Amino acid sequence: MKRKRIGRAWIACLLFACLFLCACGSGEENGSREADTVLGSGHAVLRILSGSENQELEPILEEFAEEENIRIEMTYQGSLDIMRTLGAEEIPYDAVWPASSLWLNVGDTEHRVKHAESVSITPVVFGIRQSLAEELGFVGKEVSVGDLLEAIRSGRLRFCMTSATQSNSGASAYIGFLYALLGNPDMITEADLQDPQLQEEMREFLAGVDRSSGSSDWLKDLFLEGGYDAMVNYECLILSANQELERRGEEPLYVVYPYDGLSLADSPLGYVDQGDEEAEEAFLSLQEYLLSADTQDAIQRTGRRSSYTGISEANREVFREDWGVQPDRVLSPFRMPEADVLFECLNLYQTNFRKPSLSVYCLDYSGSMSGEGNEQLVKAMEQLLIQENAARNFLQASQNEVNILIPFDDEVMGVYTAEGNGEELEKLYEIVEEEDIGGGTDMYAAAEAGLRELENYDLSQYTPAIILLTDGQSGGSYRDFASAWESLGADVPVFSIMFGDADPEQLEEVADRTRARVFDGREDLTGAFRSVKGYN
Amino acid sequence: MKTKLMGLGILLVVILAAVLYAVLGGGQETIEITGYVGGEKIGLLEDQDVQAILEERYHLSLDYAKAGSIEMVTDDPEGQDYLFPSNQTALEIYEQNYGSPVKSEIVLNTPIVLYTRRAVADALLSQGIVRQEGDVLYVDMNQLTQCVEEGTTWAELGLPQLYGSVTVGTTDPTKSNSGNMFAGLLANTLCGGVADASNLDQILPRLEAIFQKLGYMESSSSDLFDQFLKTGMGAKPLIAGYESQLLEFAVQNPETWEQVKEDILMLYPTPTVWSSHVYIALDEEGTAGIDALLDEEVQRLAWEKHGFRTGLYDAPSSIEQFGVPGVAQEITQVAPMPDAATMEEIIDALR
Repeated sequence: MKRKRIGRAWIACLLFACLFLCACGSGEENGSREADTVLGSGHAVLRILSGSENQELEPILEEFAEEENIRIEMTYQGSLDIMRTLGAEEIPYDAVWPASSLWLNVGDTEHRVKHAESVSITPVVFGIRQSLAEELGFVGKEVSVGDLLEAIRSGRLRFCMTSATQSNSGASAYIGFLYALLGNPDMITEADLQDPQLQEEMREFLAGVDRSSGSSDWLKDLFLEGGYDAMVNYECLILSANQELERRGEEPLYVVYPYDGLSLADSPLGYVDQGDEEAEEAFLSLQEYLLSADTQDAIQRTGRRSSYTGISEANREVFREDWGVQPDRVLSPFRMPEADVLFECLNLYQTNFRKPSLSVYCLDYSGSMSGEGNEQLVKAMEQLLIQENAARNFLQASQNEVNILIPFDDEVMGVYTAEGNGEELEKLYEIVEEEDIGGGTDMYAAAEAGLRELENYDLSQYTPAIILLTDGQSGGSYRDFASAWESLGADVPVFSIMFGDADPEQLEEVADRTRARVFDGREDLTGAFRSVKGYN
Repeated sequence: MKTKLMGLGILLVVILAAVLYAVLGGGQETIEITGYVGGEKIGLLEDQDVQAILEERYHLSLDYAKAGSIEMVTDDPEGQDYLFPSNQTALEIYEQNYGSPVKSEIVLNTPIVLYTRRAVADALLSQGIVRQEGDVLYVDMNQLTQCVEEGTTWAELGLPQLYGSVTVGTTDPTKSNSGNMFAGLLANTLCGGVADASNLDQILPRLEAIFQKLGYMESSSSDLFDQFLKTGMGAKPLIAGYESQLLEFAVQNPETWEQVKEDILMLYPTPTVWSSHVYIALDEEGTAGIDALLDEEVQRLAWEKHGFRTGLYDAPSSIEQFGVPGVAQEITQVAPMPDAATMEEIIDALR
């Protein structure tokens, strides 16, 4: 119980205390990652942890931030990561905005989320290159998940989706696949999941996945870099991908709504109550703004189904029927299994069903890594390689996956390979711990060595990736690396984690060349490794 | 001189008294108490008129965290001054776990109803599962339950645009009240009376099968209702909730209501059950909430702005004011909920 005394002197004291507290600022406490985007420059701060699909709403948020003089700090994560953050003791955010209320509900075990309301609705759909969709007979008819499975099995359809254990769109699509493979029961049970036939079929099915990613918006970006036929993503992101494709004069994607495997993202924005009245007020005014008729209309123009009454006449031009979009469709989703079964589904995806990953870790042991840098590296790798830790974040290795460790300084110090998810993997951790530190930095040589290792595998059976961690300006030759990548002739992303004084330009160059991404490990190295893992 | 000094003395005393009054607050002290509240009552607690009455007349401010009615009496309520679940079963469970609370009282009432869309209601009407009396719609729980148990598909009821079989969406009956009460209502329906120890064994497997089909369930009635309104007919064709929810929505969002009122309908189960929102004070400070919420004007606001019936049976005042068609003036067909011991067995079976 708290007591408020309403005397003038007391109010003066309170005001003073408030001013004092405000002046001390929030922001830098308890290890919050640096925000991905800061909107507006106001004094009051609202820190929002959001699914990446909301990145498209930044202009709408910015307008509010400037008008109300509230600084909005957006940090993007997959919805399942948001769920895990909600379960933590300290939540370094004022609001959460996952793709679906399911994750908010399951994650909020301490009842700290308040005022949650859905901002918009968008279904998870297949977007397939228009000519291919026609060829497959998916245009102008009702398509079942079974039809899609058939096309995938016959090798005529390959697709990209986000990781089911990191992102809502991937998880939703995957549950839809499970239903279809089980013959559309009323509900998936734990016993169903143990069926060997189901397991075999699901593995076969997920082998059709070209590329995986940890978040929906990045999947769209990846798709736009070209070379893929289809993706599973939110209707709104397929629409925005199409707008870009059309601008370039390229073939758009045709939207397919699997009638027996549809799911909806309801995009709930909720306040995380940690007793900060100023933040609560800022939150409520943002919510009011987002739910106001004008803003709802603006949100609808981004391809999201907002408002109670469906898509307005004026916005129909966004929901283009020639792209297969059905603005008036009754969106009738399947039912999600209860939390225990759902988590069992996700565990199986991670350890058994998904295409095994083939990861090459090139880790910097140059002189500048000594001390704290190396300690953080060892700690981060412990979270990945020691399976008990990995399981907490759905990052466990699967039975058939391969992990290769290449420590480097100005040359490659060794190549260590671990197959499967048993002892060999944990042995890699010992090497990570014991390797000596010293010398210069040549990440290109290490990445090249990684590419050479990949030549020993049938890459169509794996989701391959090279993960480069470095903390300094690299010597060596980008050109040699690029030509080695070219001659491998496979779609292998070379991700990098920026650390210490690494040169972002060098890393971006590698990422752009290989359709990968650079992660910032300077604030939270473990978090950066976790994010990378979402992509394979 | 003496009078002057005395005058000065009096002045000093007055100033001192004023300062003391201001600092100690005298009668002005506002006490903030905090507790767990079912989501469907948050609109009432956030109502500025209600807050003003609590503050002015009772010097009270109610802070809250949202929690399911069953959850709040089974989880550790430490640090809370009060709990405000939505049925008496919750109180009984609390008493079994923690003994008698400092004080408790029923503050608000509202019947359990089903919400649906026009197209679904029409299909149910033509099947004879729903019947209309005046403009009030009543749903026959026996027939509806039969459809659910038999796995009748929506397509078989004439709604091919809806995927899957007929179910009633509810909140998680092991956590939240509306789902819990709907489970009680189903249990009553399955045994053709009021479920108790004598018929529970036969009912439980059937009840489990019905809820098993639902899979993941929301843990808050207000979230479920929000999703019902926003995700459209396809996602939530038929849900269980409180009568108060739609009445409150219509009053609080008149413009939106005007746009959707043709499509959104309330069905009264026959028989239904009363959700009695009981305020449980956990400490002395918490007891103040009872008197404050029973204030005549708060009770009037609770009905007129938030749709809670305050007495049983008859509506406290006109139902016309809501602009919601199909609200029953009186709720006559009501069955008692199964007792707490029975409900606990039901909750255990569904967990």
